[in-house]
Amino acid sequence: MRRALLAITGLAAGTTALVVLKGAPGASQVAQELPAGVPVGTPGRTDPAAPGVASERAAAPTRPAGRPDATASRTPGAGRTTTGGGTGTRSTPAAPRTSTAAPKSTNRKITGPVVVTEFGNVQVQITVSGSRIVNAVALELPQGGQSDLRSNRVDDAYSGTSGTVVRQQDANLDTVSQATATSNGYRQSLQAALDQVR
Amino acid sequence: MHAAGRRTGDPSPYGGRSAASVRPPPALPRRGSVGRRVVSGLFWVGLVVAVLPWWLDTPAGSLAGTADVLTAAGRVTGLIAGYLLLVQVLMMSRLGVLERGVGGERLSRVHRDLGATLLVAVLAHLSLLVVGYARTQDNSVTAEVGVLLRDFDDMVSAFVAAGILVLVGGTGIRAVRRALPYELWYHLHLTSYLVLLLGFGHQFSNGAQLFPPGPVRTGWIAGYLLVAAALLWGRLVAPLLLNLRHRLRVADVVAESPDTISIYLTGRRLHQLDLLGGQYLRWRFLTRGCWWQSHPFSLSAAANGRWLRLTVKVVGRHTGDLRDLDPGTRVWVEGPSGTFTAAHRTRDLALLIAGGSGIGPLRAMLEELPPGAALIYRARTPADVLLHHELDWLAQARQTSVWYVIGSRDDPGPRQVMSPDGLRQLVPDLIRRDVYLCGPEGLVESSVRALRQAGVPRRQIHLAPFEL
Repeated sequence: MRRALLAITGLAAGTTALVVLKGAPGASQVAQELPAGVPVGTPGRTDPAAPGVASERAAAPTRPAGRPDATASRTPGAGRTTTGGGTGTRSTPAAPRTSTAAPKSTNRKITGPVVVTEFGNVQVQITVSGSRIVNAVALELPQGGQSDLRSNRVDDAYSGTSGTVVRQQDANLDTVSQATATSNGYRQSLQAALDQVR
Repeated sequence: MHAAGRRTGDPSPYGGRSAASVRPPPALPRRGSVGRRVVSGLFWVGLVVAVLPWWLDTPAGSLAGTADVLTAAGRVTGLIAGYLLLVQVLMMSRLGVLERGVGGERLSRVHRDLGATLLVAVLAHLSLLVVGYARTQDNSVTAEVGVLLRDFDDMVSAFVAAGILVLVGGTGIRAVRRALPYELWYHLHLTSYLVLLLGFGHQFSNGAQLFPPGPVRTGWIAGYLLVAAALLWGRLVAPLLLNLRHRLRVADVVAESPDTISIYLTGRRLHQLDLLGGQYLRWRFLTRGCWWQSHPFSLSAAANGRWLRLTVKVVGRHTGDLRDLDPGTRVWVEGPSGTFTAAHRTRDLALLIAGGSGIGPLRAMLEELPPGAALIYRARTPADVLLHHELDWLAQARQTSVWYVIGSRDDPGPRQVMSPDGLRQLVPDLIRRDVYLCGPEGLVESSVRALRQAGVPRRQIHLAPFEL
């Protein structure tokens, strides 16, 4: 019984300590040494207008006082890590990820509208965890004959948990060759879904 | 007959060093508590590894505002709870390494304490996240619960899992447990495997650290698979192999005293049985009325390659039924378990303190201790002294001093002997010995107190796996 109480106290103290350590501005070195590509949350969520990498810096002024030197030394470091991610984030103005305010880790599925192309309908559904796109699925793609081939190509390139959508985190996808119309339809539906996230 | 009757001792023809004409078999090498230390070290490493992904994923200073802090704390407690759940199941997997390295009895004690911690961690995880999300979304708490249940994958089963955990945790409270019939309690407790199953999904579909594919997710799933494999091995495969190899049967049931019996067992290839004196096995006697219950009993003789023996005091219905076992009855065993063995001593010399039928495991251990051990045997009346011919023989063969302390616990003689001074007088080098205790709760408690007062370090005191 005494041991259990001790363990529970330890649990409470440990959790508090961890959160406090992370919460204090500039407290941790570890976060700066993040390996590239690790999804960094959206610390700039207090400033929904700031897109992409800028959010990292934009967050600094909104934070209450803190220690100015520590914040200053940390921000560029963190910024570099994020840009160093390469495929992780891109500072495209259209990047939707910073606009999702909720730091939710939990998944939401967002379905884009049906986009009519000359070969058939395209509809995209994305899964969002926190502010990150973690999966993209084409609910509908043109079917029949040559369309199957084109649709498969587009689907293979864009969809899935490791497709271009997830890697790029935006709707600014390179067109799949010989499937321009389908690619465009996919992009439109995806962009609309991303707009819904906002 | 009520004083401390000293039947044998150093100069006596039974236990004297001069009488050591019989060459004792080699004593077990000393292992100490290495196994336990390694396992507890691994536990802490695992805990750090479980929380590390959160630490790495969370940029410093990113927790602005109450909602963020609550959500972060919810995630940390969630990771801890997930880890503890795996540890809890692993500890009950009956894996040989754990049963013999840490000891089954210590495992169940830690299981109970950690169970309480797990329950608190899960409830904290649940409430912190619900409140944290509700604040982020400007929802009320109840509305947020609705959102979680409706819009998030696997959350219904996760809530059910939490409910089961609360139920199981509730029955773990000592008072509730005593009020419930054992079988009901046991089967309720079995439903906690459902927690593992139902809680599985939401960690991966909603966990911030576990959702994205990568080493963290892979590692976490590997943890689950390992625990499942350990469970399968420890509960099913290993016992099956053990019983198929040895095919134990009852050979004979002998009355040792009016209320104590010894059960002798034979089987095949018993010399291959890796068994230490003082360890226990879980026995299931396959007769009508007995087959459905499994009970732990220590062996009362060290492994000899020809037979096994347990000495049991008849106290309840089950032990009463054991008196009527027919020779040839098949027996299903699981084990062996326990760290109450000569191998786990930290010093070379030992003092054994037995009470009543607690002599069994100590008698078995005596064969594996180095020469020079001492045994104090408390019994209420001379008739309660069990196995005393064997003890006399062992005293001679292993140069052991044996003292029989006869009388009720309030008699002046036993009281004097079992006091710190009395023990020191009997065994002057007490504090340089490992002390093994086995007997009724009262005797063990008062002896531990006396030993501590006499200056015996805690880690040199070994308690028997269960009360008698």
